[in-house]
Amino acid sequence: MIEACSLSFSYNHHNNNIAGRALKDVSFFVDEGERIAILGHNGSGKSTLVKILGGLQEASEGQCLINGVNISEINFRDLRTTIGIVFQDPENQIVAAMVEDDAAFAPENQGLPSGEIQARVDDALQRVNLMHKQGSSVSALSGGEKQRLALAGVLTAHVKCLILDEATAMLDPVGRLNIERVLKELHKSGMTIIQVTHQLEPENFDDIQRVIVLSHGEIIWQGATQDFWADSEALGFDLPDEFRIKKYFDSHNINFPDYFASLNINSSHYASREDSINTPVKFVINNLSFKYDDEKLQTIKNLSASIYSGQWLSIVGRTGSGKSTLVQHLNALYKIQSGEILFDSKPLAQKGKEVYELRQKVGLVFQHPEDQLFSLTVRDELAFAPKNAGFNKHELDEAILYALECVGLEKSFLDRNPLALSGGERRLAAIASVLSAKPECIALDEPLAGLDAHYQHQILNMLTKFKNDGKTVITITHDLNAALNYSDRILILRDGSTIQEGSPDEVIKSVMQNLESGAWPDVLRISAKIHEINKNFPLLYNYEDFISCISQV
Amino acid sequence: MYFTSINLGQYVPTGSFIHRLDPRAKLFSLLFIVSAVFPAKNFFILSIWTALLIALVWASKISWHIVLRDARPVFFLIAFTFIFNLFAVSLTRALFTSSRLFVLMLFAVMLPLTTAPLELADGLDALLSPLGKIGFPAHESAMMIGMALRFIPLLMQETDKIIRAQLSRGARLDQGNIFQRVKAFFPVLIPLFIIIFRRADEIALAMEARGYEGGSGRTRRRPLVWKVKDSLAVIVSALIAVILLLA
Repeated sequence: MIEACSLSFSYNHHNNNIAGRALKDVSFFVDEGERIAILGHNGSGKSTLVKILGGLQEASEGQCLINGVNISEINFRDLRTTIGIVFQDPENQIVAAMVEDDAAFAPENQGLPSGEIQARVDDALQRVNLMHKQGSSVSALSGGEKQRLALAGVLTAHVKCLILDEATAMLDPVGRLNIERVLKELHKSGMTIIQVTHQLEPENFDDIQRVIVLSHGEIIWQGATQDFWADSEALGFDLPDEFRIKKYFDSHNINFPDYFASLNINSSHYASREDSINTPVKFVINNLSFKYDDEKLQTIKNLSASIYSGQWLSIVGRTGSGKSTLVQHLNALYKIQSGEILFDSKPLAQKGKEVYELRQKVGLVFQHPEDQLFSLTVRDELAFAPKNAGFNKHELDEAILYALECVGLEKSFLDRNPLALSGGERRLAAIASVLSAKPECIALDEPLAGLDAHYQHQILNMLTKFKNDGKTVITITHDLNAALNYSDRILILRDGSTIQEGSPDEVIKSVMQNLESGAWPDVLRISAKIHEINKNFPLLYNYEDFISCISQV
Repeated sequence: MYFTSINLGQYVPTGSFIHRLDPRAKLFSLLFIVSAVFPAKNFFILSIWTALLIALVWASKISWHIVLRDARPVFFLIAFTFIFNLFAVSLTRALFTSSRLFVLMLFAVMLPLTTAPLELADGLDALLSPLGKIGFPAHESAMMIGMALRFIPLLMQETDKIIRAQLSRGARLDQGNIFQRVKAFFPVLIPLFIIIFRRADEIALAMEARGYEGGSGRTRRRPLVWKVKDSLAVIVSALIAVILLLA
């Protein structure tokens, strides 16, 4: 169906040397009805490839054939009814303010009669499971629903081939599962699907038939999905725990889950390791309530919790559970409406000069902080917060170097333009621009979202180090694997109230009750299945623990 | 919210009779109403207009809370008109001019509240299309307005988020004289512009990928159909406008 022949592309036409190319001699084919994944880290040339395959960009060299015809010779309308693209950010694909109006955009462009358009809209909304949102406005949809609408908006064009460019990168695990469910159905009905992504998820590996790995603009590996796992680590891709465990089962002839049914396991070693907290409490939140002007219900309801100094607290909960609103209270971005917050045993500053002092002590990193950079150089960006906090020249220079070292960027970055950095580097620079005020406590909202494994590790390690220096770390995350395995304490929120606060072992049951299994770490999902048939088996969430637990017998 | 009213200008579907009118009929009616309210001479005429406004809001089944919230951005303008007239003319004059402006604005606010953005854009497109013959970019203008209605709420959220982020980095946005304040806003404006341009780029790409090539050859899921009730609505508003103008 699609054949890429020696595609090369360079953004700089004057400097067409091989090294500076976004794509170098890329060749592959995709058969009709096949589902493949194009895998690559940030900056591997994936997005450029998507644009060329979708006919939105012409290759500098080589050609791309669709059903044997050169893509540049296919007329616009035929091309647009053959290949559809779903991009990363649903907000940038939805053009109309109402759900049905947006889904209708493509067939309207094709000049179809209105009856046919409506039939296609109904069919597409049905397929993506959004029929119940038919008459809603787009702003009332969740992120996952928006992305499904973007998908419906492509399906209504009746394309034969679907390209997804990091289409699930901005979604939470449940949103991702919902998209995956739709994709499986589409694939079954004969759609060709090309999924461009920075990591394969356990939920889609059995449906994806082939994998192509792109690195620095070149194809470094291609083959069947089951062969990919053997080489994945060498190619720089983490093996999801589910596969590591399956591999272990296979190599030890373990028949999952029957093998575990009658197994006698001594789980005392793993049962609720209670972490004694011997550090003072940093924040005490008592009966906090908060309501937005425009909303009927309280976003935060009688919430109480403690946040300990020198500990890493992860706040987890579904979308809309009040996580972000809570965190924005901690440096007085939201003023307390009712209840109280104590910071170092004193009431939290709410106005005047003390608020600025508070904001220096409690740094907040928003979601996608790289979108808030504004300076011409990284140095200026890092200087913003400490200057506002009144650091003198000497302190300022020292603080900038401190922040840079914290996030692991080299000194040479100081003179670079933040906009010219890669996505991951920009995220690090943005975090550094908060750390440069030398806060005692840092709160981050979804710090890992949209990053590839390399930068995720870098941030997790950085936060661990920050915590080990005696500072307090608070993260809001959908990534339960990171939350359970890296943080000391977990706070579970639901509908604006605390469900439980405690060490990962203490809260694990609560996590399972309050969050969908699709969001659980792989290890937890597997041990929960074993736990179902053998109550002696502990609920584990860490791969090493899991392996040591089953290898003791 | 530091940057309030995200729902500004947003369509509120209630399925009322007003909602189901052809957008062109609503545009025409609004045109008549505005051109008659503007020259309203006295409190008596204005009170009739107010009664009509109340009837309109009632018929649309939209709550006053929402109507007033959407009119919030023009409160500043109304206050300014009031103060200006108070000092330049008299208290009566000030009261009259500002309430006239207020009624006018509320009528205007009812249009986007009762008309889906795309419909509104289609209506404008249809009304402007004769101008297309003399080279006016009718479809493009209508599309632009439709897109603006879709993206304004999003950009407001975006602005709010950037303001918060810079405040937590210690930015002082509310101190100093006007020049200092403008300068203090650079850390908000620059990221905002970058976001707007990036979004514009990506939206253009996504639209092309969905086969958009401008207005020609495009059809509609819900083609505008002019019905008897639309003619009636226009005639009624025209009549009211003329009568109240002459009264």
